[in-house]
Amino acid sequence: MPTVTATKKKTVRINGCVASAQAAKYADVDVIAAYPIRPYTATMMALAQMVANGELDAEYIVADSEHSQLSIAHGASSSGARVFTGSSGVGVQFAYELYSPISGSRMPVQMMIADRTLDPPGDFGSEHTDALSTRDMGWLMGWACDAQEAFDNHLIAYRIGEDRRVLLPQMVCQDGFFVSHITSDVELPDSSQVREFLPPYKHPYPLDPRHPVSHGPQIMPEQGPPLQLERARAMEGSMAVIEEVHKEFGEIFGRHYDPWLEEYKTDDAEVVFFLQGGHGVTARFAIQHMREKGLKVGMVRLRTIRPYPTDRVCEVLSKFKVVGVIETNMGLGSPSSGGVLYADACAALYEAPERPLVISFMAGMGGEAIVLKEFYWMTEKMIQAQKRGKIEKRTHWVGFEE
Amino acid sequence: MSYTELTVWTRGIIMDKEGRDIVNSVSASARLEGKYAQAMENYVDNPDRTNAPTRKYCRVSDRVLENELTYENEHPNIVVLVEDTMVKGWDYMRGMPPGGTLIINTHYSPDYMLRFVPGVERLAQLVCVDAAHLAHHKWLYYRLGELGLDRLSTEGAAERSKLIAPDIAAPLIAALVKSTGIVKMETILPMIANKNAFEMALSEMKIMQFNPVAV
Repeated sequence: MPTVTATKKKTVRINGCVASAQAAKYADVDVIAAYPIRPYTATMMALAQMVANGELDAEYIVADSEHSQLSIAHGASSSGARVFTGSSGVGVQFAYELYSPISGSRMPVQMMIADRTLDPPGDFGSEHTDALSTRDMGWLMGWACDAQEAFDNHLIAYRIGEDRRVLLPQMVCQDGFFVSHITSDVELPDSSQVREFLPPYKHPYPLDPRHPVSHGPQIMPEQGPPLQLERARAMEGSMAVIEEVHKEFGEIFGRHYDPWLEEYKTDDAEVVFFLQGGHGVTARFAIQHMREKGLKVGMVRLRTIRPYPTDRVCEVLSKFKVVGVIETNMGLGSPSSGGVLYADACAALYEAPERPLVISFMAGMGGEAIVLKEFYWMTEKMIQAQKRGKIEKRTHWVGFEE
Repeated sequence: MSYTELTVWTRGIIMDKEGRDIVNSVSASARLEGKYAQAMENYVDNPDRTNAPTRKYCRVSDRVLENELTYENEHPNIVVLVEDTMVKGWDYMRGMPPGGTLIINTHYSPDYMLRFVPGVERLAQLVCVDAAHLAHHKWLYYRLGELGLDRLSTEGAAERSKLIAPDIAAPLIAALVKSTGIVKMETILPMIANKNAFEMALSEMKIMQFNPVAV
């Protein structure tokens, strides 16, 4: 039985953190495992109020650390509960041990990440390194660029992760501050729409004393390969489900997302930004201004990074002359000596018959806003590379160079 | 093109709601008037500590806000001090373009307060309003039990009181709207809980006018 009160569609002005809490409420989650760390704290506090006010009937468990938080989430999911948890920055790291076991036991736990820099600098600002460092742990992962998209991504991710063809946990990410603390108009759906889109969760093999099953037992080495292959297949197989679910979401809610990439003014673009998350909002304004000056610049925003849409990225990015990857993450010693997005983009482009030049831009580090003039500067670098026919260097640190 | 930045300086926890009510009500009113507007708290000041200075921001424009993701108001046209001892110790005038307005909750006169204000040459007007008195605050730290929030932090918490400006924010909003015209009186008044204090402030506020020079 749904425990959420029936509600009509309405538009409210909320920030990304509250949008995530609202999404968890609409998803009628059973267990919330919480531990405070900014900026995620605002989400757990909003949920605590909902539970206290009787708006949401859920077990609200405050853990003693992020490690316990994810352990609780794992256990609750194993018993068949729909679980919501979340964290930021170093909190995401402290729970690291749990990410592989949760995806390994195929538990569709959902974790909200509001990005925060790791230490150093440890400030409250958004770098994607916290979540990205866990990107190969078998969790579905993607970034929203505003509060509405964050809300929608939570519902979409539950539906994908809980699909029996997938059964994988999901990290639903948003930039700290740029999404988590910026308010905008968010359309909250009619509860009947959510009921239609997201059926109650039912795990096929929950822990149940009446029907004993084993989860996560110690196994012998020879049992390892098939288990890993199964998980890899689940991740790969999720791609078809992801497309199907986004399509259905659009039909029910009227907001149609490309599951993989948002293309902005790319039709005749020669140089494009390739980025994730909230900076896409400012990128659009920068592109409008540069277009007025006749520059053929556009943006491709990656919406889902795990599973990585290799074929789609290859097909789309190979149309351009220069791709400027805006990293917003640290990949110390990575192939570009910059961030980690560059390597994935280049790998995807490797099989393209005609490859664009690829430049990595270290911008928005420490959670700094990427301002219009920095987008202009990066565009200039891309245009110079286009004219020259080769890049000046792989990685530019924006704000540190002429 | 008209673009206005409003920065409210307040004190963590004990007067946090007041600051938030000011920027939220102005932003909501501006949007009702068909403008683009945004209200937010300073991200780095939070989670706030009791008494620590915290800043709340509002931006109102007749064009879409392209700097929506910028953390701070870099050039505030209007500055509000929710508590009068804040007049010393912080450079709340930093970045203010000539022609600015400073509004202080104080029982002192603009004449008296002026000596503490850094960068007075940027001001077009200094407004003093005895908001605590008009809202029947015997003193600012009075009625702790009725404060909006718990004593830990306001980060992410909702107010216990759902009312907008039930308290010292109401006279401050009145002084702000009357002296700057940032939004129309008739748009914002219906939102204000303490209408009595709001209306009294309209006649009790003291304005000192200047001819600002470019700095």
